[in-house]
Amino acid sequence: MSMNRKIAYINLTTREIKTENIPEKIRRLYLGGRGLDNYLLYNHVSPNIDPLSSENVAIISAGLLVGTLASASSRTHVAAKSPLTGFIGSANVGGFFGPEMRQAGFDHLVIKGKSEKPVYLYLNNGKIEIRDASNLWGKDSCLTQTMIQKELNDTDVKSLCIGQAGENLVRYACIRTSVKNAAGRTGIGAVWGSKNLKAVAAKGTMNIKIAHAMEALEYNKKIIDQIVSAKVSKTMQKLGTLFIWGATNSTGLVRTRNFQLNQLTNADDVEPESIEEELVGTAGCFGCQIHCRGKYIIKHGKYKGTYDEGPEYTSLGAFASEVGCTSKNTVLVGNHLVNYYGLDTLETGSMISWAMELYEKGILTKKDTNGLDLTWGNDETVIKLIHMIANREGLGDILAEGPIRAADIIGKDSLKYQIHVKGMSNLHSDERPTPALALNVAVSSRGSDHLRGRPAIDLYHLPEKFLKKIYGNPVPYDGPLTSDYRDYEGKPWQVIWQEICYEAVDCLGICKFHTVFLGPNMPAFDEWTKLIYFNTGMEFTAKEIWDVGDRGYTMERLFNIREGLNRSHDNLVDPYFDEPVPLGLPVVRGKFIDRDKFKIMLDQYYELHGWDENGVPKPETLEKLSLNNEPSGLL
Amino acid sequence: MTGSHNKTLAEKSIKGRTTGQFRCLYCFERVIPPKNATEYTCTKCGYAWRIWWFSPNEPRIRGPVWEKHEKLSREKMAEKGGA
Repeated sequence: MSMNRKIAYINLTTREIKTENIPEKIRRLYLGGRGLDNYLLYNHVSPNIDPLSSENVAIISAGLLVGTLASASSRTHVAAKSPLTGFIGSANVGGFFGPEMRQAGFDHLVIKGKSEKPVYLYLNNGKIEIRDASNLWGKDSCLTQTMIQKELNDTDVKSLCIGQAGENLVRYACIRTSVKNAAGRTGIGAVWGSKNLKAVAAKGTMNIKIAHAMEALEYNKKIIDQIVSAKVSKTMQKLGTLFIWGATNSTGLVRTRNFQLNQLTNADDVEPESIEEELVGTAGCFGCQIHCRGKYIIKHGKYKGTYDEGPEYTSLGAFASEVGCTSKNTVLVGNHLVNYYGLDTLETGSMISWAMELYEKGILTKKDTNGLDLTWGNDETVIKLIHMIANREGLGDILAEGPIRAADIIGKDSLKYQIHVKGMSNLHSDERPTPALALNVAVSSRGSDHLRGRPAIDLYHLPEKFLKKIYGNPVPYDGPLTSDYRDYEGKPWQVIWQEICYEAVDCLGICKFHTVFLGPNMPAFDEWTKLIYFNTGMEFTAKEIWDVGDRGYTMERLFNIREGLNRSHDNLVDPYFDEPVPLGLPVVRGKFIDRDKFKIMLDQYYELHGWDENGVPKPETLEKLSLNNEPSGLL
Repeated sequence: MTGSHNKTLAEKSIKGRTTGQFRCLYCFERVIPPKNATEYTCTKCGYAWRIWWFSPNEPRIRGPVWEKHEKLSREKMAEKGGA
């Protein structure tokens, strides 16, 4: 069975390791991956701890279908209390580590305490070793993985690791695997760094038994047809996630110069089609047919000849639109450096763009920057600041603290220019013309977030009849839904549906690009019933999978509430409400979020979730989701 | 139950896929540009787009024709009584 993988508890202080089976009751409630990690986090992290203390817990998991015959079943999830926000820390990554971890015998790792010296864990056929990592400390994320393979004399070993940013406790350091795959958000790399945990490596030969192998293969063929025939997938095969730029920048939905503008005009060099000219091939994750990751070699400047992969859409925002740069070389070098150091590309770009606006406003001067010129579009400064953040040098040391703490240090009204939610920066998208997307970033459990509740297909002007088919399944919904992305009606339900869809797909360990995220005709709850049954033998209805997603998302809410979250945190910064977008098509130009309508959307969102007016899940909601006795300590 | 071959919404929708077209980002009209065209002006709303072909038969919008974009946007905003 694919479910017979274990959970392991590793205490880095005492070096004690304990393994257990995962009870079927827990499987049925949480499936695996992110959902079960939420349960573990709520049960193993005490309230109000310092996220960078030994009391925090680092969790790693593979989703229920990872390594099976389900398409794109590659995803690994990592969790901890976030050192960036103080709320839930959670991030998801593709590549090949998750399948290897399952083949090594494990589904979930709960890592506690703090090692005296740098260490890495090695998972191999049901066993776990704590190994010395002194020689890996100070090494970048790619070299770390290669050195582990050499040490273990096995090039098939797969690793998750941190780079120097995690070691230096940059609050938005990420976890990396392969050349560019990143569990990017919420700063879990810093949590690993605080524990002196450099990496987790895995190699296994324990077969993952498929319950109904022939049916699983046949059904996967159908799923593949469905996915690869979609225009969104065919475009991604050529351009990766950069493809999004064509529509968003053309319309005027791209955050530019730290939210001052909403379009990067006349910047053809950074368009995805221009970056595509630099690619020497594409790479994919385990079990995926799309291969959305570009491979490139930098052609110019100091980094000429350097190989890397990407860049993703987020790096295009980070090192082009947000900072006002229009050179693709800056995007490619910036992307390389965040991969190298193990930094969240999105947060890095956002922090640099914020510093540039402070410089423009005179809040930061050359005295504060040690002579560095932070003028918009200064390519050299952007690259220099990435180094400085990762190594915590000068101004970089302040920017490494993330939006809230950095603003506290700088003072002088600087917080006013931060574009964040719950202390986490926004994607380089401008949601002022799109109430659904604005609500999504305001309420998301991790902070401003485009991956945990974004109804991206809201931008596609889909017929209402079609929207009703998507958003009315697997639970009935007879409220309004509109094709116009500028409307406020019906949007709270779309956000909730997407939250639960994304939570469920993260429990399964399948890539989000293989569900209703960027393409409306992608697999979702109905298809997952078959994927689960053929691969694991477990029978679930679509509604039961929905409930798993709902339960997991509500558990994230409970974690956040325990850490002090309230309604005031589900909000947007003032420019969303006060500053109309100046550029773009007439359909968006002049748009901003109406405060009163936003409040109504938020009320509806809470009500539809079964939460009270303060955003706290009602007792009957908790009972319905079997969450009324948490923390229950079953694992 | 899960072995049933009733098609799901996503499975059914494969047949409805369109190729050779894109939607104008201003008026959402589905348009079919001439093969290999690098620019196309929407016949419904007049917006001009730069086009990129990700396969021989499949176009996408690369970006606006910038020199026309701002002027047209200002004109349309003025028509609507905006800035």
